[in-house]
Amino acid sequence: QDPTAAHYMFQDDPFLMPRNAANSRLFALSKESGRNAAKYIIKQFPQYFDKTFAEPNVSCLMPEALTPQIEGVSEEALKERIHLRRVKDSVDLFDQLVQAGTPVSLETTNSLLDLLCFYGDGESTPEKNEEEKEDLKEPKVNASEQKAPTRPFQRGSQSSSPRWRENNNAERIFKIMPERNAHSYCTMIRGMVKHGASAKAYDMYIDLLNERHKADVHTFNALITAVPYLKERFLERWELAKVFLNHMAQQGVQPNLLTFNALLKMLRRCGGLGRSMSLLVIKEMEALDIEPSLATYDHLLFIFYRGVDLCPSGIISEVLDDVEKRTFTPQDPDDGMDFYIADNCCDLKDITLAYRLNKAIEKGDNWKFLDVDRLNAYWSKFFSLLCMMEQIDVVLKWYKEMSPSLFYPTPKNILDLLQALDAANHLEVIPSVWEDMKQLGFNRRQDLLEELLSLMSREQHPEEIQLAFAKCAEDIKAVHEQTGREQALLEWTGSALGHVVLLFSRAGRTQDAWYVNMMERFQQINRIPTEQVMHEFLNCAKQTNCPDEAIKLVKLAASFGLPSSQRLKSRMEKEFELSEKQK
Amino acid sequence: PPSPQTRAARVRVGKGDKPVTYEKAHAPHYIAHRKGWLSLHTGNLAGELSAAERAVEDAFLRRFLYGTFPGILADEVVLKRRANLLVVCAVLARGLAPAKLYFLVGYAETLLSHFYKCPVRLELQTVPTKVVYKYL
Repeated sequence: QDPTAAHYMFQDDPFLMPRNAANSRLFALSKESGRNAAKYIIKQFPQYFDKTFAEPNVSCLMPEALTPQIEGVSEEALKERIHLRRVKDSVDLFDQLVQAGTPVSLETTNSLLDLLCFYGDGESTPEKNEEEKEDLKEPKVNASEQKAPTRPFQRGSQSSSPRWRENNNAERIFKIMPERNAHSYCTMIRGMVKHGASAKAYDMYIDLLNERHKADVHTFNALITAVPYLKERFLERWELAKVFLNHMAQQGVQPNLLTFNALLKMLRRCGGLGRSMSLLVIKEMEALDIEPSLATYDHLLFIFYRGVDLCPSGIISEVLDDVEKRTFTPQDPDDGMDFYIADNCCDLKDITLAYRLNKAIEKGDNWKFLDVDRLNAYWSKFFSLLCMMEQIDVVLKWYKEMSPSLFYPTPKNILDLLQALDAANHLEVIPSVWEDMKQLGFNRRQDLLEELLSLMSREQHPEEIQLAFAKCAEDIKAVHEQTGREQALLEWTGSALGHVVLLFSRAGRTQDAWYVNMMERFQQINRIPTEQVMHEFLNCAKQTNCPDEAIKLVKLAASFGLPSSQRLKSRMEKEFELSEKQK
Repeated sequence: PPSPQTRAARVRVGKGDKPVTYEKAHAPHYIAHRKGWLSLHTGNLAGELSAAERAVEDAFLRRFLYGTFPGILADEVVLKRRANLLVVCAVLARGLAPAKLYFLVGYAETLLSHFYKCPVRLELQTVPTKVVYKYL
């Protein structure tokens, strides 16, 4: 893998390569919005795109035929509209059919109910397209399409699902249905749970039991997910969940993976009770021979590690053992939370675990679980952990390899890197880190600049490093003074100014140091230069033989009324040969 | 009277202030000697069909790209066909922000794929200004 190249979705050109995380996200999103614009054009003018001259015909590149073909009021027309997911049209057609008196068969009504409950009475294609993250989500969505027999998620995220209104179409149709079978009840329950009407779902479930129907496994899953909304206290929630499970056993319904995941998800919100119960759940799962998916592990870790009192348990290493042994296929819509494992590893400050997790991610298909944002966050955490725990050579090696191709360092990462360099006494790498910082766009962050400057100016260094440091200081000074149109002026702080002066003096650049040291500047920010700064400046002035500068400095010190001005004056007289006037 | 063969695809010598790219500066008899081809496909080999369709597609693609990237195409577009894939190699000047360029890239790729029913890939290179070979 090429460590200097960006992700393959970007063009391979220095102007078009993203340099930091914000840019990479921007470019990815703009490319995606370009694609959406093209799809919009194709949908608007399908007549220009529908000539089939390719042999064999490539169906995915043809415009989609979304208009229903069959006109007229009949059951086939209704079926077609349901198939095309046109909610409003199908409801209207259904009403027309009922008024006209033609009986609509039970399956058709059931599929209409399915459609309505899935979309919660809103339309199927929202008017504004929400942001689509990148195509890494596609394989996940397609795989879950095969697993779950219901209609697949349209866009993957359901953040703003409309609320279930009172007496909306689904309920209305349900009520006027002459006969209902188990499927109808199940669909209604699942729809209600999905759109937030948990209490009604529970009532409907009671109705279902009264009518002596059997619910299927998906209904039970939905009911279990609704439990946290029905009851408040932990114990009651667990009891209710157990009631559902008992019913399931009574009706002979086999629980599947999603059942257990729903249970664990509910247990997440059950606090301490969750910890004890979740282990029981896992044992059940193993007894039934269902393989846990990533979501299972995620819920487990959440239960155990997000509590207020982090009691370390060996559970994370067990989880990691399992994760390493198998490759995962996406089975649960929550599977994208692989990140939590990473998060927990890094919180626990265990580097071996992190390495194992890294290997596990590279194996097989597991990389598909982390989309670009999560990837960035994961690598950023990994890098912080590295900086804390590992030797500086390893850290530098990883840093060279990982940025900018795999991830873009966050400000925290750069701080960690600087601290690691400090701990290992490798401060000569700092100028190159400063270059990276400029590229990443961090050169206006106050905290990073402070850290950098203080590290650079703490001790004396050999000559060429000092020169390099002075150059960095000059850059930083330019950043402070730049009055860009949109950017707010960065305020000098006393310590930053002092450090810059120090660096300049050590490198022998007296003019620059004095220019920086201009009285107005210090007075502007109402700070006093430290004694060390003054002494360094005197040293520098002595080396370069500029007594004028030294005099100016003494005058400055005197004007501030510093106690050290006396010392400075005496030093001046000793070390310099001054003419009478200067005295 | 000057025959078309002596006037085709040549930039006439002028005062010396007209910047001309390498592509334009060379006359067509330099193809395969100093120039390459702008469009590569197998339609002209012995026993292959539909060379004319390729030519029509080329013409359309050039106009389409000339319009989608208004004013920033620095040189002629090179089209390469590999099996079913159409690779469009374009050299652009840095006139637009990278985000806008990516928008146009995504748009052009999808639209052309749907239009020609084959995957289309756009590979860009940016240059600061048009690369001048000589002034004629």
